Amino acid sequence: MQKSIDELIKELRQELVKQLNLEDMLPENFDENTPLFGEGLGLDSIDSLELVVLLDRNYGLKLKDPKEGRTVFYSIRTMAEYIHSNRPQQ
Amino acid sequence: MEGKKCYINGVGVISPQRTYVNSEFLPEVKSYGNNVLTCVTPDFKAYLSPVQLRRLSRMLRIGMTAATICLGNAGIKVPDGIVTATGYGFLEETEKFLKELLERNEMQLTPTYFMQGTYNALAGLVALSVKCTGYNNTYVSKGFAFENALQDCLILLNANPNFNLLLGSYDESAAVQYTAGMREHQFKKEPVNSLDVFRNKTDGCIQGEGSAFFDLSGEPSASTWCSVEGIQLIYRPESPDELKETINSFLLRHDVQETDVDLVVSGMSGCKSKDQLLESLERLIFVNTPRAYFKHLCGEYCTATSFGMWLAASILKKQQIPEIVRASNHEFPDQIDTIFMINHYFNRNYSLVLMRR
Amino acid sequence: MSQRVFITGFGIITSIGNNSVENFQSLVQGRYGYGELSILDTIHRTNLPSCEIKLHDDELKKLSGVGDRKGFTRTTLLGLVALKEAISCAGLTKKEVHRSGLLSATTTGGIREFERHFYDLLNLSKDGPFAQFADTANPGEHCERLADEVGIKGYIATISTACSSSANTIIQGAHLISSNLLDVAICGGAEALSKFTINGFNSLMIVDPEHCRPFDNTRKGLNLGEGAAYVVLESEASLLRNHKSPIAELKGYGNANDAFHQTASSPEGTGAFNAMKQALDSGNVSTQDIDYINAHGTATENNDLSEGTGIQKLFADKVPYFSSTKPYTGHTLAAAGSIEAVFCMLGLQHQMIWPNLNFQHQMPELSITPVRKLMENIRLNYILSNSFGFGGNTSSLLLASA
Repeated sequence: MQKSIDELIKELRQELVKQLNLEDMLPENFDENTPLFGEGLGLDSIDSLELVVLLDRNYGLKLKDPKEGRTVFYSIRTMAEYIHSNRPQQ
Repeated sequence: MEGKKCYINGVGVISPQRTYVNSEFLPEVKSYGNNVLTCVTPDFKAYLSPVQLRRLSRMLRIGMTAATICLGNAGIKVPDGIVTATGYGFLEETEKFLKELLERNEMQLTPTYFMQGTYNALAGLVALSVKCTGYNNTYVSKGFAFENALQDCLILLNANPNFNLLLGSYDESAAVQYTAGMREHQFKKEPVNSLDVFRNKTDGCIQGEGSAFFDLSGEPSASTWCSVEGIQLIYRPESPDELKETINSFLLRHDVQETDVDLVVSGMSGCKSKDQLLESLERLIFVNTPRAYFKHLCGEYCTATSFGMWLAASILKKQQIPEIVRASNHEFPDQIDTIFMINHYFNRNYSLVLMRR
Repeated sequence: MSQRVFITGFGIITSIGNNSVENFQSLVQGRYGYGELSILDTIHRTNLPSCEIKLHDDELKKLSGVGDRKGFTRTTLLGLVALKEAISCAGLTKKEVHRSGLLSATTTGGIREFERHFYDLLNLSKDGPFAQFADTANPGEHCERLADEVGIKGYIATISTACSSSANTIIQGAHLISSNLLDVAICGGAEALSKFTINGFNSLMIVDPEHCRPFDNTRKGLNLGEGAAYVVLESEASLLRNHKSPIAELKGYGNANDAFHQTASSPEGTGAFNAMKQALDSGNVSTQDIDYINAHGTATENNDLSEGTGIQKLFADKVPYFSSTKPYTGHTLAAAGSIEAVFCMLGLQHQMIWPNLNFQHQMPELSITPVRKLMENIRLNYILSNSFGFGGNTSSLLLASA
């Protein structure tokens, strides 16, 4: 059965923190709507590439153009929504 | 034409001994029993922000921290250039990327390990962190890397004496390099107490690591440790006599007599066969000069000369020669004005450095 | 610079030729090395075509004179072929070679052999022919091996600053010569293709499966390549002593850091601007004097925008002819600087400008366009050659006709 968006959000938060080593730098008000790049968390283009691989390895979704990442990786919620709508049905 | 001298105006060293606090001088000595020496590290959080630390490998943390300590010691915010040196680079990251590549059959690979494995990653990150847009270079010439980097700095400072250049080295005690070393019979077969390595008289060295940063300038400052008068590199000398001739010419060019030298700091490695030339040399020149060794404290690695340089600079600045480095029966002087350092890496890469108070 | 520095010889091997003559012919004919991989064993052999030298290691061992001897990585073999040509071209005697410096650059060293025998090498209970590569992965090893092969003892150095590496060897060689520490410095780099680099660059998503198109608005990234090149630098005093005529003069150089990001260049082209400006200033040459720029031009979206912007800023409304030769050879990483310096010298010798192959669509962000067709009988006096790398390393060489 496919995961719900909320379940994906929970899973992604854990994955992100682990993959990008974010334990020590999450601001207090960090949640699934906090912008990941630029203003919010301040991730950069290398992190974006890490997320491309995470999407592929964990969810089987391939982003061909790194530019797509700007919308998909805007926040944990947008990532969860993308996965939810694009994930191959099980 | 011999270039002008330069000054060491700042130091930051992380090594298998407690060396990262500049006001101390080997307050305690650590010994190792398994032939692999690893760094005694500070709490990195005291020097680097969480944002900086996030993506850094262990060795990058060590290197960035050493650089930070050095700049702080020199009272410099932005140097005019950065030159780094390493023999084997960031092996842990290289190995991680390779392993993933092979295990995943070249699919779905992340870039971080690849990037953190590049040899100039440290020079680039330091430049980025302090926004240094000046000269930037990295030497990876095995046993000559640190010496090449120092030579590069000396040439630049000759033309720009008011520059502050950050000279740094790093090398890891990586398992991958240890295995390579064992295959090439570079390391000792049996475990030895690191502090006994010179008494041991067997072939092979002990593996070491560390990162050492120096702020160099053509002008002294309030934080000057000592001067570096000159350097010479000798590749694969054929005999102790050849080495002796070269040393004599080197001293002559710097207007120094053998008797002017108060202390010889020697990179004797503890490997019986590879140390032979240096041992013979001890009977030919500086016979009456007290000697200090350092590789029982830091181990052997490509850029170990940098640890020797830290030792010599500390001796000149603090006017103390710790018991643990004294390696001859001579009477050790109370006043140390001139130090001659000689190092070798597996009897291939020899270097001479002259330093003064 | 106190002593003037001249170039008296060079040697090269790339996917478009095994020596200078073959490379020159390919440049003139527009023949490039891009294609499917047939020698390196990788799953990307067809989906990420690169500029591979179509010689197996055994053939390279024959070509370089190594024969059956062990422990020579592909990087070293490529280096040896180019190094021997450079020494012969410069007419150096055995004694001169002995006293020369060798400054060689690489980013891969022997990683190709290390990845091939990874599990065996790390298992100490195993032995076999693979053990010849036990300690050849590190970059410094190739340089010492090259020095030992040809008999160089004067000064040994290996530089690794990503894609600006061999340009930096040339700069350091010039420093050593102008400081009177060396009369002769042989400078350059060598780089073999490997799974490590193909996958590393691919993970950064900057590799174009199609043939690269530098400065083109549709560019999607670089093609990787392999090769080696060395230039022989000599002091003016040495030249006079030996009554030699130089090929070119190394008139100036610049080395700066972009300090913008670990792998990306600043959109304003700050590093590029600074490196080129330094090269001009150090050679006492003005922007008006530059006849051609051999751009770094990797065809990544980032580099070409950054470099193009830097060029426009520096040269304002008088931008000289410029082109990237990377569609010919691919991006040869550490060897790029010296390979492209050789191409510049071939251009000076023959008064030709090499075209920027595959360019079709103008970048809207730039007002300048690269040279699209081979230019002949063009008066060339001063050339700039750019090389920019990860870690913000930017270098530029100013070459002058002799």
